[in-house]
Amino acid sequence: MELLDRYLQAVKKHLPWQRQDDILAELRANLESQLEDQEAEIGRPLTAAEVETWLKQIGPPIMMAARYQKQQYVIGPAVFPTYWYVLKLATFWTLAVYAVVSAVLIFSASNPGSSAVGAVVRVPFVLMNTAAWVTLTFAAFEFAVAHAWLTWPASAISPEGWSPSSLPPLDKQAASGKKPRSYAMALAEIIFGFLFLGWLLLVPKHPFLMFGPGATYMEISPFQLEPVWYTFYWWVVGLNVFQLAWRCLDLDRGTWQGPRIMQQVTTKLLGLIPLAVLITAPDRLLVTLKHPAEDQARYGGMVHMTNESIHRGLMVVCAIVVLQVLWEIGQTYFEEFRKRMSAMH
Amino acid sequence: MTVAESIFENLRLELRRGCLTLAVLAQLRQEHYGYTLRKALALRGLEIDESTLYPLLRRLETQGLLASEWREEDKRNKRFYRLSNDGERIFGELLKEWQAINAAVTSILDSNDNSNS
Repeated sequence: MELLDRYLQAVKKHLPWQRQDDILAELRANLESQLEDQEAEIGRPLTAAEVETWLKQIGPPIMMAARYQKQQYVIGPAVFPTYWYVLKLATFWTLAVYAVVSAVLIFSASNPGSSAVGAVVRVPFVLMNTAAWVTLTFAAFEFAVAHAWLTWPASAISPEGWSPSSLPPLDKQAASGKKPRSYAMALAEIIFGFLFLGWLLLVPKHPFLMFGPGATYMEISPFQLEPVWYTFYWWVVGLNVFQLAWRCLDLDRGTWQGPRIMQQVTTKLLGLIPLAVLITAPDRLLVTLKHPAEDQARYGGMVHMTNESIHRGLMVVCAIVVLQVLWEIGQTYFEEFRKRMSAMH
Repeated sequence: MTVAESIFENLRLELRRGCLTLAVLAQLRQEHYGYTLRKALALRGLEIDESTLYPLLRRLETQGLLASEWREEDKRNKRFYRLSNDGERIFGELLKEWQAINAAVTSILDSNDNSNS
């Protein structure tokens, strides 16, 4: 009996304290009756080893006590899908914002190498912080609902409070999946592409076409664009020629209806080259003075500030493009993976 | 435990959970205390662990389906359970549901057997 007493004592420690004595008295009565029955069956008291085997069959005290506890969730099954969706969204956007901010800070830091290492090391803490806040918020919501301080909105749980017409419209991707690009649209894209290229090629000789009245100001102003802009310009022209050639090939092969993910991703990746040309300009000089000896004192500060601002702006654009490309590649692979998984099942 | 065994175990527990509640309610149309209830169910082929049955009785009582009282029997205080009025009504409804499901599953199995033969 000593072993049974020890077992019950261990169970008691894990029982809800309000009902501890009552539950324990009932459990004792049931187990003692069972023990007596077994002893009556074999005609002698159970040995310590037999009692031990019997208690082992009943299960560990903590498991026995756990069954008497109310079912509790940190985040229950009703809330979990929303929690999971918000968690994914929050971590993604945290990572995106963190990446952009870090990229700007790294490139404007005096020691970009150590700054980059620091930014990478901080990533897990940033993500854990976000996940912790989202989890805490949802756990608090679950707690409030479990204690009836809050109730679910009627639209979420009652069939009457929900209407199929309140569903969000189809995603653009799904809609476009059903409506492939028409031949006319593919042809129009090429025609406008050639027109745009013609306009672009005319700009160096006729800056008015791009800058409007600003072209006259450029001529008389004390500022000038550095030659690096010409390199940038020819990269942009090359990129447009590449894009047009790809579209013409698509039209020629009859593949203009298919998805253009590869084309979009490649164009964006190549689009990083002209940006890189400007970002890596020597001493970040994109705008300079026509007559530095005369105008340095008056406009030197303004030129420096302009160059720094353009440089930082370009860094942000570059980071956004990289994130866009990563997002598109990730989406494509995820979609492929999803299709394969559903094909397997 | 293999994945298949684990899936089977989960499905088995899921299937048993509702059935056990129904069996306990059915058996408690007569008064029992925990241990004699367990014995009575086992006698009819339904073995239930102590750690499942005794907490289940508490839960059903909290839900108002069972009524209980402490009484002395064989020089020992025991808690006796029986169906409450609400319990009887809900048990009747559950029984109908169970019979409908049982009939449907039997019919599905029969129709499959006939189409295979």
